[in-house]
Amino acid sequence: MNNIFQIILFTIREALARKVFIFFGAIILLALGGTLLVFLLVDIDTLTSMANQSGQNYMMQEIVNSLELLIVTPLANLGLLLAIFSSSSFVPVMLEKGNIDLLLSKPISRTQLILGKYLGVVFFVFLNIFFFVFGVWLIISIKFGYWDASFLTLSFVITFAFSVLYALILLFGVMTKNSILGMMVAYFIFLILSPLLLLYNEKLNEFVTNEIVSTILDGFYFIVPQTAEIMGRIMIDLAMGKGIANFQPIITSFLFLILVVIFSVFLFRKKDF
Amino acid sequence: MIAIETNTLSKDYESSFGKKKVRALNELDLIIDKGTIFGLLGPNGAGKTTLVKLLLQIIYPTYGNANLLGEDINNYHLKKKIGYLPEDHKYPPYLAGGEVLKFFGKLSGLNGPILDKRIDELLELVNLSKWKKSKVKTYSKGMMQRLGLAQSLINDPELIFLDEPTDGVDPIGRKEIRDILLELKSRSKTIFLNSHLLSEVELITDRVGILNKGKLLREGTVKELTERKEEYKLTLNDDLPELNKYAADNMIITKNQDGSYAVKVDDIRTMNILVDKLRVDNILIKEIILQKNTLEDMFISLINEEEKGGTV
Repeated sequence: MNNIFQIILFTIREALARKVFIFFGAIILLALGGTLLVFLLVDIDTLTSMANQSGQNYMMQEIVNSLELLIVTPLANLGLLLAIFSSSSFVPVMLEKGNIDLLLSKPISRTQLILGKYLGVVFFVFLNIFFFVFGVWLIISIKFGYWDASFLTLSFVITFAFSVLYALILLFGVMTKNSILGMMVAYFIFLILSPLLLLYNEKLNEFVTNEIVSTILDGFYFIVPQTAEIMGRIMIDLAMGKGIANFQPIITSFLFLILVVIFSVFLFRKKDF
Repeated sequence: MIAIETNTLSKDYESSFGKKKVRALNELDLIIDKGTIFGLLGPNGAGKTTLVKLLLQIIYPTYGNANLLGEDINNYHLKKKIGYLPEDHKYPPYLAGGEVLKFFGKLSGLNGPILDKRIDELLELVNLSKWKKSKVKTYSKGMMQRLGLAQSLINDPELIFLDEPTDGVDPIGRKEIRDILLELKSRSKTIFLNSHLLSEVELITDRVGILNKGKLLREGTVKELTERKEEYKLTLNDDLPELNKYAADNMIITKNQDGSYAVKVDDIRTMNILVDKLRVDNILIKEIILQKNTLEDMFISLINEEEKGGTV
């Protein structure tokens, strides 16, 4: 465990040294600053009186959560794209000649090394996401005087979506020692395949009459990580305090993550460097 | 006690599409004793780095096996007792020299004040104390090499693999590194040295192996490898044009440009017969020297023979 911990710390240090993550942090600060500025300027008396008139805390919760979600959703999606871009080269850089030789010459197993790198990146991205979500939550909660910590669970959901996509980057990084292919596959799933399969599952499946095609598409829907659903409906439901109605996207995505990480570790353990 | 032992250790690399195999290491059997400095020589592509990478499990053998310090190389815990300086080592440019050592020290299982003390000692040893807090991106090639050496020693290893340790280091720095290696040897450390600098290998190694195209061509002490047993340089006090009349059977005497004679004999007895004959006639012998190749001479001729397909 100490070895994994050391690699995680080392990865965080590496991330802090990268300009792209400084840029990442700057965007978060900018977003938080913008949020703060808006709420300093906006008069919330009207909204508060609406809440008071209803006499229900629920109304206030809805207002607060909607506002939080309004800020977090687009920025989280943008942040996920940026996180994929900025973290895609961690594994290939580690696998460069001169780096990997040194690491493998130390008393650390290959499994510990690759898992440490994966967890280090995921943890660092989580810190960024949590900082952002916590910042938005804090500003709005102070402004409205309404505190609902369940909103903070969003940071775990967004990190989970990232960790699923980053598993693919890990796999392709180990296979090709390059960041490009993994990044392309992650973007393809996140931006195209997952939203299309979600659309098919919810709206278009009744139009597909061919049973074979329908079975294939259904199969795809359950195999491909459902990041669109996680970053969409699940995130909204959680932010609105409704909880998760359907765990299937999380379970199938988690299974996908586990399988891809196991396969990456398997390949890494067998590979010559 | 054996530090390194390989049994028919072999490695094939596959070409891009897996159609053609290249044998980088060919059934290597090698035994290196503890507490010695072993130098592995060979031209580029001979398989030197492949051997080290195999021993450290950075790559895996096609077949064969090896033990380090009596343990199977598959056991990664064994690396607690091993240090390694790769040829093209890279350190994170954003870390300072001391931080690099700290990171690798922690990976080697060290921690706390023991690690801090070790870092200071090693930086002192390689003359980088002043640069402890400077980012490695500001280091020169020679400084990186010295930092690499310190890194390879961070866990006080019993067995140290050094791949071109003096690459890019100036002559004074090279001398310092040689001294460090000799000091390590005096502390019973085993050092496996890959180097192109034959003169340097000659200076510090106990045994040398010569590798070409994955095959170990020769292995022995520098003395064994460089001795030309049958040739002596004979210098007389006075010129003696008729020296050949003293020649025994199977003895070839030729005059060197400096006035001395090159005497080729079957064995030392034949040489002594010549000395006896000369002394009977009261001819004064000034000097008799057993002729040696330099390691470089021997290396070049050996590789050339191998390239021509000759028997070695």
